Amino acid sequence: MSEPPNGQSSSTLTAPPPIINAIRTGDNVLLRLPTGDVRNFKLEADATINLGKFGSFHVSELVGHPYGLTHEIVEKKLRVVLPKSIEELEDTEATNELINDGKYVQPLTADEIESLKQSGVHASDIIKKQIEMHANYSLKTEYSKDKYKKRKEAKYSKSFTTIEPTLFNVCEYWFKKDQNRIRDLRIDSLSQMLNLANIQPHGRYLAVDDASGMVVSAILERLGGNGRLLTICDVESPPAYPVMTQMNFPKELVTPILSSLNWATADDDYTPITILEPSASGGALSDKAKVRVNKRKAASDILSGTREELFAGGFDGLIVASEYDPFSILERLSPYLNGSANIVVHSPHLQTVSDLQTTLRLRPQYLAPSVSESFLRRYQVLPGRTHPTMTTTGSGGYIMHTIKV
Amino acid sequence: MWSTSTHIAVGDLLVVWLTRDMIQSLVVTPGADFNSRFGNYRHADFVGLPYGSKVRPRTGTGFIHLLRPTPELWTLALPHRTQILYLADIAFITSWLDIRPGAIVVEAGTGSGSFTHSVARTVGSAGKVHSYEFHEARASKARYKFSRRGMANIVSLTHRNVCMDGFTVAGTAGAVFLDLPAPWEAVEHAKTALRNDRAGRICCFSPCIEQVLRTVSALNESGFTDITMYETLLRPHEVNQVPALPSVSSISAKLKDAARVREEKRLIQIATARTRHAEKRKREEDADELEPKKVKTDADAGARAEDVEMPGAAVRETAAEAGAAAGEADPGDAPPAMQIVSKVVQEVRGHTSYLTFARLLPSAHAAPSQ
Repeated sequence: MSEPPNGQSSSTLTAPPPIINAIRTGDNVLLRLPTGDVRNFKLEADATINLGKFGSFHVSELVGHPYGLTHEIVEKKLRVVLPKSIEELEDTEATNELINDGKYVQPLTADEIESLKQSGVHASDIIKKQIEMHANYSLKTEYSKDKYKKRKEAKYSKSFTTIEPTLFNVCEYWFKKDQNRIRDLRIDSLSQMLNLANIQPHGRYLAVDDASGMVVSAILERLGGNGRLLTICDVESPPAYPVMTQMNFPKELVTPILSSLNWATADDDYTPITILEPSASGGALSDKAKVRVNKRKAASDILSGTREELFAGGFDGLIVASEYDPFSILERLSPYLNGSANIVVHSPHLQTVSDLQTTLRLRPQYLAPSVSESFLRRYQVLPGRTHPTMTTTGSGGYIMHTIKV
Repeated sequence: MWSTSTHIAVGDLLVVWLTRDMIQSLVVTPGADFNSRFGNYRHADFVGLPYGSKVRPRTGTGFIHLLRPTPELWTLALPHRTQILYLADIAFITSWLDIRPGAIVVEAGTGSGSFTHSVARTVGSAGKVHSYEFHEARASKARYKFSRRGMANIVSLTHRNVCMDGFTVAGTAGAVFLDLPAPWEAVEHAKTALRNDRAGRICCFSPCIEQVLRTVSALNESGFTDITMYETLLRPHEVNQVPALPSVSSISAKLKDAARVREEKRLIQIATARTRHAEKRKREEDADELEPKKVKTDADAGARAEDVEMPGAAVRETAAEAGAAAGEADPGDAPPAMQIVSKVVQEVRGHTSYLTFARLLPSAHAAPSQ
C-alpha cells in the first residue's frame, strides 16, 4: 500500500489536520451499492470484502485510491469507472397509450439471464440483450427508457462507490440508518448548531452527547486537533461514540483534545476513591502489583485533572443533544462557561425545547433564548426533469439557542 | 480573528445587544460614546469588563449587553437584517462543501462578507479563503474590513470579475462557492481552481430556478458529477404560556343552561301573554259595566310580573354552579393552569436561494490518475 501524500508525520498541534486523500488500511469505509444501499466495512489488512451478489474483492485493491470513486468488480479486481455525465433526453411522440400492464413483453427468462451472468457476460451486454428482446421497448418514452436502463443497471452491475467520510456523509448515513440513535440530528440542524455554538479551532467546548457521538464527531472535526472538548456522559467509563468510527479521525487529533467525565465525577462534591501508595500498604509489592497500582494512580490523576479543568471553567460554548432534562444540564454546566458563551440545545421534540425556553426566559443569565427548526428539501435536477424528491425526511429536530451573560 | 480574551480591551470589536431587534457593533475607542435610547455610555467604561456584561448608563435608566462577536451576531448587527436568514444556508453549505480547519476555499463574490466571516472562522488560521469581488468600491471596503478584524492572514481579497478572468489560484482549492448572477460563466474557472488529488466540491447560490438549470448544464459539461440541489430554511418559533384550554364539557353545560333559561323564559312569556290576554278580555267585558276597576287590575299584573322574574334568576345561579362543577375556572378560584405552546412565527422567509452542489472527482480532471 502507498502512504497518503500528506502522511501523519507532522504532529505539531498547530499543523492543519491532514485532509484524508486516500483510503488507508484500517479505515472504516462506507460503500454505496448499485441498489442505493450504503454499507460500512472496516478495511482489515489481507481481508476480502464480500458484497454478496455484487461480488467480492481484496482490501488491498481499494487501499490507496481517493475516496468518492466508483469501482467495478471484475474477477475480484477493481476497475475505476469514469463518472457519467447527465444525458439530455429528447422529447419524442411516444406515450404510454399502447402499453398495457400484465402483457408478456420479455421473452428472456430469469434462468437465461442467470446463465448469461454465470458465463461472465458484462452487465451492460445483458441489459442490451434485454432491451433488444423487449416487445414494447420502442413504444416507451425516452424518460421511461432511461428509468428502465437505470433499474436494470442497479440489478446487474457489479460495482460500488466509496463515500468520503465527511461530516455531511457520515451524518446522512446515520440519519438514514437509524435516526433515533442520533436523536434526529439531521445534517442541516447539526450544521446550524455548529455555527450557532461558534465552534472553531482553538475553542474550548462542553458537550453532552447522547446521540451516539454525532455531536462529538462534529465538534472534533471543526476543532481540527486544536482546542478542547470535554463531554459529560451517563456511563461510568468514557463512552464509545459509535459515529466516530466512520469519521476515521487520526488518533493524534482526538486523544489530546477529548476528555470525558460522567454526571458523578462532574459533581463538585464527588469524592474520588483514594489510591493507596505502595509504601503505605506496608511490605514490598510484587512487580505486577506495582504496575497495577501505578495504572490506577495514573487513571485517578487524569480524572482529577479533568475535574479541575471543568471546575476552573472558562469554556466557550455548550452543546447539548441529550435524553436528560436540558435545564438540569444547563444548571450544572453553565457556571463553567465564559460570559458571552453560546449554548445550543437540540431535541427531537419541540415540547422539550419550548419548555426549556420558557424556563430560561425567567432567568437573566440567559440572553434571548430562541427556538427554531430547520426545513430541508432536496431536488432532483435533470434536464427537463427537475422537481423536489418524492420522499423526504420529516424533521431534523428543534434547536434552542441562547447566550450566557 | 476576534478577541478570544475573557475581558474587553481597547480596540475590540463588540456586539452591543439592545433588544432582539436592535443589535449593533462598535470598536472600543476611549473618548468615544455610545448613545441609544437605552442610555448613553462611554466606551472607556467598557474596557476591562468581562464579555457578556450587562451595563447600565451613568445616568438614567436602561441597560445593554456587551457580547463577543461571532459571524452570526455580527451579521445580525449589519444594517440590512435580512442576512440572518442565511444562517441555515451558510451552515448547510459549509458542511456539504466539507469545509473544516485547514481547508482552502474559493468564494465569489464577497458581497456583505457574511459567508466570508463564517468560513474564515471554520477554516481557522491554518486555512485560507480566497474571496473575489467584481465591484471595486465594495472590494476595497471588504478588504479594509478584513484587515481591521485581523483576518488578513486567512482571507485574501481580490478585485476581479471571475466570470471573465478566472481565479488567482489553480489546483489547490478544496471547495468553491459561487454567489454570482451567472455562476455558469465561472464553472470552468472553478474547475481549474479545484485540487485534483481528491474530490473537489462546488456550490452555486441562485435564487431562480432558471439559473439553477443553466448552472446544472454548465457543471455537467465541465465534468462535475453528483449534481444535486437543496433548499434549506430556518423556521423560528414563538413560544407562549397560555391558560390551559378549557374542556368542551364546560361549554356543553353552558349551552344546556342557556337552552333551559330560554325555555323557562318562553314558558313565562306564554304564561304572561295568556294572563294579559285573559285580563284584556275581562277588561273589555268589564269596561262596558264598571270603569274605575282598571287601576287596581294593572297593579295586580305588575306584581305578578315581578313574581315570574324570580325563577329565571334562580336558574342563572344554578348555571354558575353547574359550570364550576364541569371544570370551568371561576375568576375567584385558584389561578387557571398554564401550558406552553409554540408555533412558527407568522412572517418567515419562504425562500433564500437554491443551493446547487456538485463534485469534481480526481478522474474528471484532464488526466485520469489511474
